[in-house]
Amino acid sequence: MTGKQRKQFWSAVHAVLIIAAMFVMLVPILWIFLAAFKSHVDVYQLKLFFTPTLENFGTVFDDPYRLGEKLFNSTVVALVTVVIAIPIATLAAYSFSRFRLVGETAMLVVILATQFLPAVVIILPFFIMFRDIGLLDTRLGLILVNLAIVMPFAIWMIKGFIDGIPLDTEEAAMVDGSSRLQVIWNIVLPMAAPGLLTSGIFCFIIAWNEFLFALILTNKDAVTLPIGLALFKGEEGDLWNLLSAAGIIIMAPMFVLALMIRKYFVQGMTMGAVR
Amino acid sequence: MRDNTLKYFLVLPAVVVVFATAIWPLIEAARMSFTVGRLNRPGSLEQYIGWENYAWAFFEEPAFWNSVYVTALYTVVTVGLTTLLALGLALLLAPGGRLRVSAQTLLILPFAMSPALIGVSFRFMFNPEFGLFDAFFGVMIPPLADVSWLADPTLAFAVVVMADVWGWIPFLTLVLIGGLASVPRDTIEAAQVDGASSWRVFRDVTLPQLGPVLAVVIILKSIFSLKTFDQVFMLTNGGPGTATQTLSHYIYFNGMKYGQIGYSASVAWLMVIPMIFLTYAYAKFVFRKN
Repeated sequence: MTGKQRKQFWSAVHAVLIIAAMFVMLVPILWIFLAAFKSHVDVYQLKLFFTPTLENFGTVFDDPYRLGEKLFNSTVVALVTVVIAIPIATLAAYSFSRFRLVGETAMLVVILATQFLPAVVIILPFFIMFRDIGLLDTRLGLILVNLAIVMPFAIWMIKGFIDGIPLDTEEAAMVDGSSRLQVIWNIVLPMAAPGLLTSGIFCFIIAWNEFLFALILTNKDAVTLPIGLALFKGEEGDLWNLLSAAGIIIMAPMFVLALMIRKYFVQGMTMGAVR
Repeated sequence: MRDNTLKYFLVLPAVVVVFATAIWPLIEAARMSFTVGRLNRPGSLEQYIGWENYAWAFFEEPAFWNSVYVTALYTVVTVGLTTLLALGLALLLAPGGRLRVSAQTLLILPFAMSPALIGVSFRFMFNPEFGLFDAFFGVMIPPLADVSWLADPTLAFAVVVMADVWGWIPFLTLVLIGGLASVPRDTIEAAQVDGASSWRVFRDVTLPQLGPVLAVVIILKSIFSLKTFDQVFMLTNGGPGTATQTLSHYIYFNGMKYGQIGYSASVAWLMVIPMIFLTYAYAKFVFRKN
């Protein structure tokens, strides 16, 4: 083989490998996707070719499954968690970014550490407390607990974004007589807006997919989508077509949001420890 | 308000939330771990029994050690496999080009699958009657067609590992692609001009440069592997028997199914210890960058 031929050969090998790898990565998603459109009969017959139906998506919203209620719970819990977390995290992140605080490093380490706490550790006391004050199986209870995993993440991520905003505009405004809070409101917030949106989306995804808290704290009224998956067990085992349809409903908004934050994916997941 | 006061007021709400949602429950769990702590017995959360729960876990409960073993093995295997496969995929995708960029975009999609959903989807694929793998083996390797994957302890563990590795490859790959992009091009080219083989270039130039990124990735993945719950719960629910019962699952079961909250809290606290070391290691990388 000449040098050029060898090069062509290897780039063909690479292309095949890439396509094979992508196929493997997407198969579980495709499999769920196909099953969601199969009829009750087809899903148990392993057909690759079938007449697609939208029936499953209707069934999951009907009695007795009523996935709509779970969808509503998930949406409220995730949205309210984000709406509480982002403003609080933004103020803290600004302070951590722009000032020197007594015990700043210690605070930041503790905040970072809480993000890695096993959920199962913090949920036990919450279960007892919520049982005693009547917050079990409520969306409010779930929102409070979700703040535990979302807040540290948001603080660190937003701090990263604010660190990247140059100081001079802020200083100029201060010289012109703006107060610190005016500076935050008029200058920092607009400049940090894309970062806040990105952080908000990350937090929404975390809260939307949260499983263990919802499993332990809810059983009827406040059940969220991921826990709702357990509904689709019938007399003769899992109802795969319905499970898959529910899976698509859980996944669909995540697809869109994940693509929106693609650029910040690595930074967000590693809190800037990389790069 | 002066900046000097204001700066503490700005962090105050966040500190309150972090304290109330993470620090308080952590301390409260520690307290509970020294009590009898039965869900169905009022007052038992104030009945102190010293280190008895811990002693019980260490000396009287083979199931505890089983879950420690399962979690440790699970962590080592998933961290190792995910890192290796992600590194391979990152090397394959890093050089750029249209196919590679679209592949990187596609890699974001599995991220939309929550761990619980990954568990469901793998349980579906490994169903012995109408799962994807049944179909695949039916055509390719008939003797494997009717294997009950999730009923065999070893195979079930393998499937749980597979689901986890599958779910984490995209994230690790994307991080490593970022790391590869920061390896200076000219060092690699200089080595190539000197006649070094691709393997030597990788071993002596790329890999050392990638070291810190690999370390971060391994620490992060270890933390998440140690905590694993969602997909195990959905995929095998710890079974068959206790073959795939991770620590999180063990704590959940003892606490919520058997109502032994005090005992659960003690095991949960034992789990926090390795977490502290890993977080410390991770924090060092984060602060070096800031």
